[in-house]
Amino acid sequence: MNDRRLVLELRNVGVCYRRRRGLFTRRAAGFWAIHDLSLELCRGETLGVVGRNGAGKSTLLRLLAGITRPDRGEYVNHGYQAALLSLQVGFVQHLSGRENVMLSGLLLGLPRREIARRMDSIIAFAELEEFIDEPIQTYSSGMRARLGFSTAFHVNPDILLIDEVLGVGDAAFVEKSKAVMKDKIRSEATVVLVSHSARAIRSLCDRAVWIDRGRLRKSGDVRSVLAEYKASIGTASGGKREIGEEPEADATDAGSRNGRG
Amino acid sequence: MPPRADTADRSRWSRYRDLVLYKTYAELRTESERTYVGFLWWIVEPVLSMFVYYLVFQVIMQRRTEDYVAFLFVGLVPWRWLATSVTHGASSILSERSLMQQVYLSKLVFPTVSLLTDTFKFLVVFVLVLAFVVISGFGVGPQYLALPLVLVVQLFLITGLTTLAAAVTPFLPDIRIVLSNLIRLWFFLSGVFWDVKSFSAEMQHYLRLNPMTVVIESYRDILLYDSWPAVGKLLMIGALGLLGCAAATVVVRRFDFVYPKLQF
Repeated sequence: MNDRRLVLELRNVGVCYRRRRGLFTRRAAGFWAIHDLSLELCRGETLGVVGRNGAGKSTLLRLLAGITRPDRGEYVNHGYQAALLSLQVGFVQHLSGRENVMLSGLLLGLPRREIARRMDSIIAFAELEEFIDEPIQTYSSGMRARLGFSTAFHVNPDILLIDEVLGVGDAAFVEKSKAVMKDKIRSEATVVLVSHSARAIRSLCDRAVWIDRGRLRKSGDVRSVLAEYKASIGTASGGKREIGEEPEADATDAGSRNGRG
Repeated sequence: MPPRADTADRSRWSRYRDLVLYKTYAELRTESERTYVGFLWWIVEPVLSMFVYYLVFQVIMQRRTEDYVAFLFVGLVPWRWLATSVTHGASSILSERSLMQQVYLSKLVFPTVSLLTDTFKFLVVFVLVLAFVVISGFGVGPQYLALPLVLVVQLFLITGLTTLAAAVTPFLPDIRIVLSNLIRLWFFLSGVFWDVKSFSAEMQHYLRLNPMTVVIESYRDILLYDSWPAVGKLLMIGALGLLGCAAATVVVRRFDFVYPKLQF
């Protein structure tokens, strides 16, 4: 499966956020969210990314998705489409479920004909056949989450970038969405998975990297990266748990991730 | 397998076209469903604002301009096209920050959608203005052939300004406040509720240095006065507008990857 063909490369990249300042606020220096980080992603592999909050994981995913460009170093995409798993992108309250699938699908990069072709399976997976032509402002938040997940899941980019969310909705749908997500990750798909759940990383990833304050602290096989990461948390932060062994720690609700900015 | 470059380009273009059209449709739907009478506001609002100027200038200040209702309509409706497009367009990139952090999109999409939305609303009202003018008994003559030229020239002017405003605002949101006052000043200078021809020849020359004065006068020449507009001047304004579009496109593309990183 993993034929070592490179799909994405980062070579010594750095990403700097400049805070815009007001005339009367003190000038803030640029903040380097990522320094001098190199990474290679091969076709078919699943790479796990661990690190504390603010370590630069989301910035890394945006970089890999081609949403931002590095301020230093080089980003090389060998001709593949990389996309963040983004739920409910561009959803408009006044439009029907069907129209939102179309809009969101177009935003996520699918051609219109392709969305039309997948429409029935998107609706069926979201279990919204009865309500699909109602405006989504009449939906419960769980129904919207299901539609958002189903749309995003059916986009199927060459490289899927996942920031924590594996499943959404009520208990039954969380199970169902996590199951298909895991199937997809375990298949030949190329995936980068950011997660605080050691269990999810261990069960799904072929390789892991640990990002610490914008730098690559360790890269290699999942077990040793996780072990070192956990050891550092135990000593550094006085026992504050950031990586979970809880059975459902990977079922982060999509809504809370989505609204972050 | 990565697709070949030329088919990739073509499919990217058709995806952007579909996306822009669908997003415009979504904007229009949202706007019309947010209020009780919905899209009727696109028509009622210009009529209301026309009524305000009619009341102030014709009834209270007793200015004598012939057929003042038609005169106002023909000036006000194209003016509102510019004013609403530039005002809305200025926030178009700024307000889509969360979207551009989730997916990569050319940032030109946002001012384009905003512009198309306001242009569609303008066209609906403009058709009604044409009907009103014809029903009121103004002549329809060969000079109507110049109408598309006036519309296209104004579209270029608006597109350039809207995209430029959209490009700059994310770096300096304060511009929106200055901009709304500048647009108001421009409105008073553009001969929407007064007639350029009522000034001295020298004054007329200066007033016509303002592109919108020329554009509005052109609409009135065609629709109300059975005469041809100043085509040479219009072509110059169109060229200026195109130049603005080109400059704005360069700026937006230059900062394509900077906009998602700006911290507001």
